Amino acid sequence: MTMRRDTYLATPQTVPAKTWRLVDATDVSLGRLAVDVANVLMGKHRPEYTPHVDCGDYVVVINGNKVGLTGRKAEQSMKQRYTSHPGGLKEESYGSLRERKPEKLIEDAVRRMMPKNRLSRHMLTKLKVYPGSEHPHASQQPVKMEV
Amino acid sequence: MPRVRKGAARTQARNRILRLARGYYGSGHTSKYKADYAVIRAGVYAFRDRRRIKRDMRRLWITRITAACRMRGARYSQFISGLKMSGITLNRKMLSQIAIEDPKVFDQLCQMAVKASRATVAKAA
Repeated sequence: MTMRRDTYLATPQTVPAKTWRLVDATDVSLGRLAVDVANVLMGKHRPEYTPHVDCGDYVVVINGNKVGLTGRKAEQSMKQRYTSHPGGLKEESYGSLRERKPEKLIEDAVRRMMPKNRLSRHMLTKLKVYPGSEHPHASQQPVKMEV
Repeated sequence: MPRVRKGAARTQARNRILRLARGYYGSGHTSKYKADYAVIRAGVYAFRDRRRIKRDMRRLWITRITAACRMRGARYSQFISGLKMSGITLNRKMLSQIAIEDPKVFDQLCQMAVKASRATVAKAA
């Protein structure tokens, strides 16, 4: 069989067909979950990976509110934002964020593991996080993925 | 000495630069002074990146081989060391192309590599 001499580069027309993955976040630590999810979103799990083209799959994360936080990170780690008024630093612990809005916690963790560019913002739209075990993507037939 | 004006030579000099600066952002392709600088910078980047592309491509091949190995339950380091032990001298570019275009051959390579690496680990222990 003949092979090309030059390195294969995917183009938006030739990227492998996108599939859907389903991840159960129960008791998986946040960072370990985010690495695997980010790799799939970027397409680094397949040999056709091309950095300037979105060749990743869709990822559905369920049971977001059961994601693991080891040690005392549930109490000690804080999500911070600044309102730009004096004394306007708002803090919320990861533990309370996990109960109130687990999508935010997981999406943030994944986003920070992705490249910081426009393509990454586009790739992040393929990530769907749900707090409970229900998700509305049954018709996409997501395949279960171990993390 | 009579006073000499540059005349056509000035226009020619400007056009020479602007031709090289076609399609540059903002006034980079209209103003001679911006274009002058932009063309020099472009040359610097081009020189640097002709060297950098060799590193970048190698990184890409390694990322792809890693993905292909993970699909088959092996690690990149295990795969590469195993190939070395079994005397296979395919380079990373060829390996990454094989992984894309002929996955069955890559299956075999991976099996051989893992076997060789396990055998050596067992011998050392």
